[in-house]
Amino acid sequence: MTEITPSLRPLAAVLVSAIAIVPILLSGRRPNLRESWTVLAALSTFGIIASMVPGVLSGTVYASRLGTFLPGVEFTLMADPLGLLFALLASLLWIVTSFYSMGYMRGLDEHAQTRYFAAFAASVASAVGVAFAANLFVLFVFYELLTVATYPLVTHDETDEARAAGRKYLTYTFGGGVAVFAGAVLVFWMVGDVSFAAGGIDGLAAAANADPMIARLAFALLAGGFGVKAALMPLHSWLPDAMVAPTPVSGLLHAVAVVKSGVFGIARLVLDIYGPGLVGELGMGTILAAVAAFTLVVASVIALRQDNLKRRLAFSTVSQLSYIVLGLAVGAVAVGSPGNASAYALVGGLLHIPAHAFMKLTLFFCAGALHVETHTDDISNMAGIGRRMPVTMGAFAVAAAGMAGIPLVAGFVSKYFLLIGSVSAGGTIYAVALLVSGVLNIAYFWPVVYTAFFESPTERDPKPLVEGPLGGRFGNAAATLRSDGGDSSSEVRSDGGDPEDGSEAEQDDHGFAADHEGQGIQDTMETVGQLDEDHGEDDRLDWQHRRWTGEESTWLMLGPICFAAAGSVVLGIVPDLAVFLRIVRLIVAGATGVSV
Amino acid sequence: MTDLPPFLVALPLVASVVVLFAGLARSKTGWPIAALAGVAQLGLAGYLAYRVFTAGPISYVVGGFEAFYGIELVIDGLSASVVVLIAAVSLGILAYARTAGPRGNPFYATYLLLVGGLTGVAVTGDVFNMYVFIEISGLTAYALVASGDSGRSAVAALKYLIVGTVGASLYLLGVGYAYIGTGTLNMADLSAMLAEVGYQSTLVQTAFALFAIGLFIKTAVFPLHTWQPEAYAGSPDSVSGFVSALVSTTFAYALIRISLTVFTPDFFAAVDLAQTLLIVGAVVSIVAGSLLAVSQTEIKRMLAYSSVSQFGLVLAGLAVLNQTAMVGATVHLLGHAVMKGGLFLAAGLIATATGAREIHEYEGLSERMPYAAGAFAVLAFAMVGVPPTIGFVGKWYIAFGAVEAQLWPLAAIILASTLLTLAYFARLVERMYFREPAAADDHPEGEATGAQPDAMVADGGRPSLGMYAAVLVAAVLAVVLAPAVVPFEQLLDPTLDILLP
Amino acid sequence: MIDALAAGPVDLLATRSYYAGTALLLGIGAYVMIASPNLVKKVIGMNIFQTGIFLFFIASAYVEGAKSPIVGPKATGPFVSPLPHVLILTAIVVGVSLTAVALGLIVRVYNEYGTLEADVLQEVRSDD
Repeated sequence: MTEITPSLRPLAAVLVSAIAIVPILLSGRRPNLRESWTVLAALSTFGIIASMVPGVLSGTVYASRLGTFLPGVEFTLMADPLGLLFALLASLLWIVTSFYSMGYMRGLDEHAQTRYFAAFAASVASAVGVAFAANLFVLFVFYELLTVATYPLVTHDETDEARAAGRKYLTYTFGGGVAVFAGAVLVFWMVGDVSFAAGGIDGLAAAANADPMIARLAFALLAGGFGVKAALMPLHSWLPDAMVAPTPVSGLLHAVAVVKSGVFGIARLVLDIYGPGLVGELGMGTILAAVAAFTLVVASVIALRQDNLKRRLAFSTVSQLSYIVLGLAVGAVAVGSPGNASAYALVGGLLHIPAHAFMKLTLFFCAGALHVETHTDDISNMAGIGRRMPVTMGAFAVAAAGMAGIPLVAGFVSKYFLLIGSVSAGGTIYAVALLVSGVLNIAYFWPVVYTAFFESPTERDPKPLVEGPLGGRFGNAAATLRSDGGDSSSEVRSDGGDPEDGSEAEQDDHGFAADHEGQGIQDTMETVGQLDEDHGEDDRLDWQHRRWTGEESTWLMLGPICFAAAGSVVLGIVPDLAVFLRIVRLIVAGATGVSV
Repeated sequence: MTDLPPFLVALPLVASVVVLFAGLARSKTGWPIAALAGVAQLGLAGYLAYRVFTAGPISYVVGGFEAFYGIELVIDGLSASVVVLIAAVSLGILAYARTAGPRGNPFYATYLLLVGGLTGVAVTGDVFNMYVFIEISGLTAYALVASGDSGRSAVAALKYLIVGTVGASLYLLGVGYAYIGTGTLNMADLSAMLAEVGYQSTLVQTAFALFAIGLFIKTAVFPLHTWQPEAYAGSPDSVSGFVSALVSTTFAYALIRISLTVFTPDFFAAVDLAQTLLIVGAVVSIVAGSLLAVSQTEIKRMLAYSSVSQFGLVLAGLAVLNQTAMVGATVHLLGHAVMKGGLFLAAGLIATATGAREIHEYEGLSERMPYAAGAFAVLAFAMVGVPPTIGFVGKWYIAFGAVEAQLWPLAAIILASTLLTLAYFARLVERMYFREPAAADDHPEGEATGAQPDAMVADGGRPSLGMYAAVLVAAVLAVVLAPAVVPFEQLLDPTLDILLP
Repeated sequence: MIDALAAGPVDLLATRSYYAGTALLLGIGAYVMIASPNLVKKVIGMNIFQTGIFLFFIASAYVEGAKSPIVGPKATGPFVSPLPHVLILTAIVVGVSLTAVALGLIVRVYNEYGTLEADVLQEVRSDD
């Protein structure tokens, strides 16, 4: 069984990136020095975490005890398999994102870069803290710190829209934090212990039997609280708005670190606090699964209508996160079902954490590269852009295929496990939801790839789904076709207004505020400015043609894109070689006692 | 045991007189003497607290009378904590006040008198003696509030005086009822005699109601808070820091002392209405205080309403009546003093340097005053209860205590108070960090305050090192004190075992 | 006092007239503080309010047929309770100092704004 080894490594992993904030802030006037601190911190964090992998795989748990935090609650950081999975992922992708951030921030000559990099380091430190938290309270502490640390990144643009998004973000996530706090208090009150234990806290089952309503309430509060960051519907609406942040932030934080901390919280809740069996018994698993299934289908449908690439990706994230939650929930419901259904579902859900991270990071990086190089944000303006940015769009195609669950890319493996799990658990409806969502995934990603490679600015098909009014058109309504990309006449909202209100009916589903940089008409103008008749083989307007050798952008951005895309392929082709699947199997074996 | 307790009160009082007379001979002697007295006071308080925490409560009868007739001073864990807090915070604010003003020996004399009065409230074991100290604190607080040059501070002080006097008078009336019922004024005797008279007696219940309402007024519990926002906002910066950090805190301590030592938890068990009174006061204060804070445009008024809400939280900790929540109430009482004092000082610091006193003037502050803005933000998030700060720890104890007592609605309000607090602090943080400073012509009065970092405005004077130090120390303490809570709880345990058996 | 309540309102007034006086003074004091717009009158109201409390204490100390508590060689009891007198002496001192501070503040307010009426003051200050 597992043995707990005292070690300072989990603490060091958190501290390195936290301490890096100081030199980053101090060297604000010397960008190169500042960025080398970031890279140094990223590398050493990853090194420390990676050094624990062999030990953890052989059954060791590293723990740093820092004394009593509250009576009965120790402040302990602990590297167990589940924590290591998340920490390894976050720290590995932080390295990549650091390089990408340099390319992105310098490419756009952004303001307040020092604050940006410092907040980024703080966010990663908090995320690693979330991963290594040994009990619910330590988790809560870092969960809240993560909120505070990411807030400056969401509000980075300092536009009215960014501030509104930041406010919304704070309200949602602190609201979730309060729910987590309340749930933690309830759990502590029931059993007097909040330390994570594989398979559930001892004594919680007895307490839950004594008073199932309190146990359900606590579960609902915790799941709801974590569900905010996991963007479960109807708590998701901060995430699309937070896309106003710089793209590396959207990439690492809003596809990996922050949102996954919510998912990770739910994983801890299901696996290490209640235990899958108890969650199923309380009937909470079914509810959670239903919410997740609903979210993953509905978010996919909404994504279809997003013309802005980042918003489309955001709704895709909302949908994909629910795959993970669905895996956890089905795993809980299916305890005791034949054929190791529970274990398969859990493996599928947990493996989707790294799988989705690699793929979605690729997609966001691509969106960011497009933004930096061509200032194009709307899909309707991306016709033929594959010739301008071939590597980027190639990577995009690979990752998009993975999202849809096409074999050889990461998404396939996790979805395969998920499907096996839900079918053999008898949860046909979940399997149907998974398949429907897979189809929808293709439906919203393929048009991007298609328009990039197989259309040109002068020759393209209409996009009725995006451009037409919701619910279709009747009769001779071609006149109602809107101009590409957005309605610039939508009124400028006053500061503090809710971006969701206003004249919804007169807009497309663009979603960003009217002053958002580079959208709608503005985006189209940017695009038109770069098109020229001399670029193509014939005399039609076209993007510049760039070769596949990286002249489309800087390698600071292309490198990370290629790395992330390669990661998704490796995870898809040889999942057993990549360490993530082994860790996932270990987690599931620990929680259910079944190896698959 | 030891003859030191009376010196806790006597030292500041004597120093106050010394300052006053020294001022006749030479001006500018106020600060050094006050600082010296403050350091000595802190040492004395620290030593006595050490004695209390290692060897148990200290009791001292003034003048050698028997305890029944004479005035008894009692220092247990709770009062020792408050005494140390008073000594430490008053010293910190002294560092701030050196350049921030108001200057002059009369100011320092009043300042020390207030320290003595507050300490007296904390250490006395006699309800009438407590009244006298409450009035001493009150009088000096009115005078300090009025020490600003503007007419505004005089009006604020007058309002404070009238409402505060009513509060103290109600307290005195409560003393009268308790005395008629029992014939004693000593707290320990009172608690035994009140039990003998019977908790169902109208006399006893009325006495509690008068005590509670009187101290509600003094602590500024909604809707009896009306004096407080104007008093905080109208007084000079150092004074608002001092008053907000210590005066309401000490009166809240008095309420705890009266409720637990004099009336004892048995009283609350016998009279449901008494506990209901506290709970309702707490809930209304938390919610209404926050909502009013959101609607303010002036920083100091916003902070003042925030205090109304935070003292609701302390009151909630008391109302739960179990040890966990009481630890929370104590921690929050002390933590709030550090955080709110720090916030007021930071607001004063910012106002001194930039003239910004309104919320909209804080736009883009982070670039003009990074350290002050940073400290302000840390303190604000601590106030919201973001872990791992002292604000979080206090809230956790109170909330957990409420859950233990299964007071679900109260627990829900306590948790929701996080979001309510966030509502008014988040917009400030957002303005400080994510907005460009407003252009000069945006100001309705046409003041060019926003655009000129070094503009000297009414309060005058560049922020000194002492001002920065006081603010930064408060911010650091708000975080650093959090891990110290568990050992502190162990120190407090014996006291709480007596107060809440 | 509880016996007195049972005895009926007339008896109550006759035997406990001091307490009725206390209630009256408290009521008048509170009313003047709230209702009068004049700052000086507010302070007077405050004083009346406090006087009510003083009366309450002194009345409580009274013992039917007792002498002043001056203990000498020939003095024989019963005496009235001395303690409340001592307390109220202290409270009167406090009250006087409060009044002094209040009047001082009122002088400053008058010098600054030229009025003693609370409502006028409000108008003047809102113009600032």
